[in-house]
Amino acid sequence: MKTRIDSVDDVIASFARQGYICDQRTALAVYLAAQLQKPILVEGPPGVGKTELAKSAAAFLEAPLIRLQCYEGLDESRALYEWKYGKQLLYTQLLRDKLSSLLSDTENLEQGMARLGDLGDAFYSDTFLEPRPLLRALRAEEPVVLLIDEIDKADQEFEAFLLELLSDFQISIPELGTVRARHRPLVFLTSNDQRELSDALKRRCLHLYIPYPEPDLERRIVAERVPELGDRLREQLVSFIQHLREQDMKKLPAISETLDWARALVLLHADSLEPELVEQTLTLILKNEQDVTLARGLLPHWFSKQRAG
Amino acid sequence: MADRRLHEFVRALRGAQIRISPVEAEEALRAAALIGYHPREQFRETLAQTLVKAQVDRARFDQCFDDFFHFESIAADGDEDAEVGALPDTTDMDTGDLSETTANLLAQSPEQLTQSLAEAAAQQDFTAMQVITQQGLFARQLVMNMGMGAVDDDILRLAASPRRRDQNRAEQLRDWRQQVRERASQYVRRQFELHGRAHGRALREHTMRAAPFRELREYHQIQDLVRRMARRLAALHQRRQKRAKRGAMDARRTLVSSLRYNAVPVQLHWRERRKLKSKVYVICDVSGSVREAARFLLQFLYAMNDVLPQVRSFAFAARFDEVTDDFRQYHPEVAVGRILDRVSGSGTDYGYMFESFQEACGREIDRRSTVIILGDARNNDLPAGEEHLAEISRRARQVFWLNPEHPSRWNSGDAIMAKYEPYCRAARRCSSLNDLSRFVDYLLRALNNAQ
Repeated sequence: MKTRIDSVDDVIASFARQGYICDQRTALAVYLAAQLQKPILVEGPPGVGKTELAKSAAAFLEAPLIRLQCYEGLDESRALYEWKYGKQLLYTQLLRDKLSSLLSDTENLEQGMARLGDLGDAFYSDTFLEPRPLLRALRAEEPVVLLIDEIDKADQEFEAFLLELLSDFQISIPELGTVRARHRPLVFLTSNDQRELSDALKRRCLHLYIPYPEPDLERRIVAERVPELGDRLREQLVSFIQHLREQDMKKLPAISETLDWARALVLLHADSLEPELVEQTLTLILKNEQDVTLARGLLPHWFSKQRAG
Repeated sequence: MADRRLHEFVRALRGAQIRISPVEAEEALRAAALIGYHPREQFRETLAQTLVKAQVDRARFDQCFDDFFHFESIAADGDEDAEVGALPDTTDMDTGDLSETTANLLAQSPEQLTQSLAEAAAQQDFTAMQVITQQGLFARQLVMNMGMGAVDDDILRLAASPRRRDQNRAEQLRDWRQQVRERASQYVRRQFELHGRAHGRALREHTMRAAPFRELREYHQIQDLVRRMARRLAALHQRRQKRAKRGAMDARRTLVSSLRYNAVPVQLHWRERRKLKSKVYVICDVSGSVREAARFLLQFLYAMNDVLPQVRSFAFAARFDEVTDDFRQYHPEVAVGRILDRVSGSGTDYGYMFESFQEACGREIDRRSTVIILGDARNNDLPAGEEHLAEISRRARQVFWLNPEHPSRWNSGDAIMAKYEPYCRAARRCSSLNDLSRFVDYLLRALNNAQ
């Protein structure tokens, strides 16, 4: 992992080289997080590139990315570690003879138990430990970027469980003791605001809100990601999307939808937005039937304004 | 120095209802030290990312930031404040016989003078300001810290001089002093708004919570308070719901999964307790004095959408109508207006109301339903119609009655609470936000526990 980040501009430039165009505040958050060794909580509507940010940060810092996708019911055994029960059982089966010979010279039950007790540790050792993302991040040989995606989907209990990890970068495993991070990982948490996160969690993180991009930023992103798209079409496309975002819709189109649409238009060899073309491809950007109907209604007005303007 | 300024800023933010822990304040100091104070936007963003953890607080943070670092922005950008106008340029004034301090002050360009003012201000602790009348004192102190005491002396001396020229200069100096003072007062006023407001607000909120509903119109931050109280309560109950979800052990699933491990039940599985979706019906009297209570009750309940998803509301005065959509779609102020247009008139008739309610949703009232009635039970000597309420009460899980009046008046005049009360699980007084919040808390517990 790159240990030194020179400045915020360094972050912007490097992200741009990887095709992730971000504004000052996003870069600032990454810089602060790396320097202060604090986790970042990234919030914002779906599709604005929250997950992408963590990936770009990993590439920028030349560190491996470990991802933990959260969902309802996620528990420690999925997130942290699990004992390989099957393997343990298999070993005891296979080693049965060995065990009985080992225990054969014991005279009574107590002695046998004592000897088994010594062996017990062997069964709760690394051989039988299945590390999950969080433990992998703590035990990694080199610093890593840890992405805890959609934390708002996990239960409240899991959030509480994360607290120890986020503030001290260590975690307690009853059978093994406390595992401390060899290198502090850079942690990204993302949330779509499905539920309010606890104050305790927020307190431990820097907070970054990524809104829908401003027109200028969006144009730059489209230009970077879909360079085949002509200048004029790009201009029209971004202004149309921005117009849609001002509407009262169930699900507003995010930057990921803009890019999908741009790619589709390149495939269709379009060189400017036409009413029929938009109508046919609207479903690429709007995923809700009512929204599509609403947008159809807007088209004539928008196009007439475009021609006038 | 910079650290102290930032701590003061944190205090100002807390005053503006943004919750900040000591750890976060410490973190902000470290971050600010790392990033520096320029450019301003980057500094602002640094503080925001370390201190503000909820997007809803961001606007308030920006407001505070602009107010608090007001001077810094003038000093940094040379951007003069339009309200007061630029300080006059005094660099070419004759300072021959004036005291050294005065001469120094006069020799400063307007920008430098603003800078001196900012420096003097930085030495003062404005967080101690609590009441509006302290502003004058703080402004005087600020001017004194700049060394303006010497200017006062010079003015007195010049004014006492018999020479006409000296008297003119005294006049000139007075003008200039006046402008500097104004600038200082303006700064102090901003500081008061930042710090003093916090104390004032805490006090005002305390009053608002206990004040009778009809007096609440005078407070314009009331909407905000209601929303916050509701959110708090909602968050609390969301947690409670989660905890209550895990039920008994699921023997079937545990057995099946144990087969993988040689019939050793390695993993235990739990049943999830099935939740009954409770339905809440609210019927509000919107005549005269009860109207205000109805507005706040409905507003409160709809702000709690997360934990109370199924609320249907009805309003009645002369007429009876469903108002669920009005409160969903419009701002409470607008909604109340719309509702009043439809149902208002003189003569509330509770008997008619119960009848209409039964007609409208009598069939869907079942053991999942909770009916809340808000009204003063003043029936204008019309038939009480308690048999309808009895029927509703029999079908529903529970009926609650909220009365904005004091219990001693529940049966005085044309009020007939005694007739309705036997059919209610509870009848409570509800005359202030505190009462309301206690009731909603009670209601949510009743809804959750009963499952």
